[in-house]
Amino acid sequence: MFSFESILETLKTGSGFWDPLIWVIIAALAFLLIYVLRSFGKKEFKEKTEQTQSFLSGNPEYEKEQMRIKGSNVYWGFIETMKWAFNILRKIHTGNASDYVLWLIIVMGFLFIVVFITGAL
Amino acid sequence: MDFIELSKTLITIVLGTIGLALFGIVFGLFYKGIDRKISARMQGRIGPPLRQPFRDVAKLFTKENIIPDNSIPWIFNLAPLIGLVVTTSILLYLPIGGFEPLVSSKGDLILILYLLIIPSLAMVIGGFASGSPYATVGAQREMATMIAYEFPLAIIIVTMAWKLSSTTVGGLGLANAFSLTTITANPLWNTAGPFAFIGLIILLLVLIIVTPAELSKIPFDAPEAETEIGGGLLVEYSGRNLAMFYLMDGVKTVVMASIIVALFFPYNLSPLFGLGSYPAYAIDIIFYLVKVLIVIIFSVTLIRVVVARLKIDQIVYTYWVWLTLLALVGLICIMWDGQLGLPKVAELLGLS
Repeated sequence: MFSFESILETLKTGSGFWDPLIWVIIAALAFLLIYVLRSFGKKEFKEKTEQTQSFLSGNPEYEKEQMRIKGSNVYWGFIETMKWAFNILRKIHTGNASDYVLWLIIVMGFLFIVVFITGAL
Repeated sequence: MDFIELSKTLITIVLGTIGLALFGIVFGLFYKGIDRKISARMQGRIGPPLRQPFRDVAKLFTKENIIPDNSIPWIFNLAPLIGLVVTTSILLYLPIGGFEPLVSSKGDLILILYLLIIPSLAMVIGGFASGSPYATVGAQREMATMIAYEFPLAIIIVTMAWKLSSTTVGGLGLANAFSLTTITANPLWNTAGPFAFIGLIILLLVLIIVTPAELSKIPFDAPEAETEIGGGLLVEYSGRNLAMFYLMDGVKTVVMASIIVALFFPYNLSPLFGLGSYPAYAIDIIFYLVKVLIVIIFSVTLIRVVVARLKIDQIVYTYWVWLTLLALVGLICIMWDGQLGLPKVAELLGLS
């Protein structure tokens, strides 16, 4: 049964703990404070003038599709670095179901040996 | 939780949030000034005065807050606010000034790690919402950087929590190992044998190198890279919105340095001098501020002056290969230390 007391309880996982309600109160207070601080800054700007165009070091702006990062390239730096690992994985992904079953058996065999050795120790 | 306890908690939170927000902003800017001064001196320049970051913020507040035509205005405006709000909220979970965290029983180190992601995420979202090609490149790089440095950072935290909580040989068998109160009350240097001591030095080194990436500082500032993509994810920000990101950077510097101090240098000076009450508070606060300054000088100033900017693939490789391996070596050293049963370094030095 839901009770008001349960909202105030700190959530515990056994290792970690946190109280969402307390964090929400802290964040709301901080938001209020910083929003007030921000309101001291100038609000105005010249709308629909050259200053609202994207800065491109003087280069012309082409179509958005040509100028912006594609969704497929969002993790480019990461994928480029780990290319050597991805290439190995790509070779393993043959699309052949019997290969996948073989890998399953190999991994299960490996885990069995690991568990067996750990258990024996 | 009864009414009186709830009232006390709420009063603590209200006063704590106001006090620590001011502390974070003022000292964040002050440390920024020191960082700029020291780095200038290291490069043979005079450098700006220590109050320059305060002047920068004041100047940004007088500048136009330009919202680009291509942007999504509400996300563009909200991202810097969210970034600063969440960064400020972390301060309440950290042991500031040698005291226990204000809400120590309401959140642990895992929560802090999650909260630390949000300011970077706010920058990414703000960058994408700018609608600028440079900003999207910067945001994409920030995402790759975030994935990169989280891995070694997680290893450091897990290693420390394992040492504190493990009931096997070498572990301290403590409850709430992720709680900063537990971590600061049981400095691992005190219980470390020679191997664990080396392991802790390695983990400290890794955390010091993770810090500039968390703060988007050279050599890990590819997401901003002023000379290449004109400020990257901040390129379209100006006026008060840019001031919010500027303040966020200052507060996050204090947060990261406070985390390093809490994990590795949680010692206070007052017990050494046998002080109590207000003199103890005063000396511990001053000592904490000095520790934070030293950590900032090592993890931000020195690194950014002596190393050039890395490319994004080099950043990911540095974290996912070299620093992860280094952190794993640290972890293994600490795990082995307990098994070997060697005497503690503190005992060998006659400090315990």
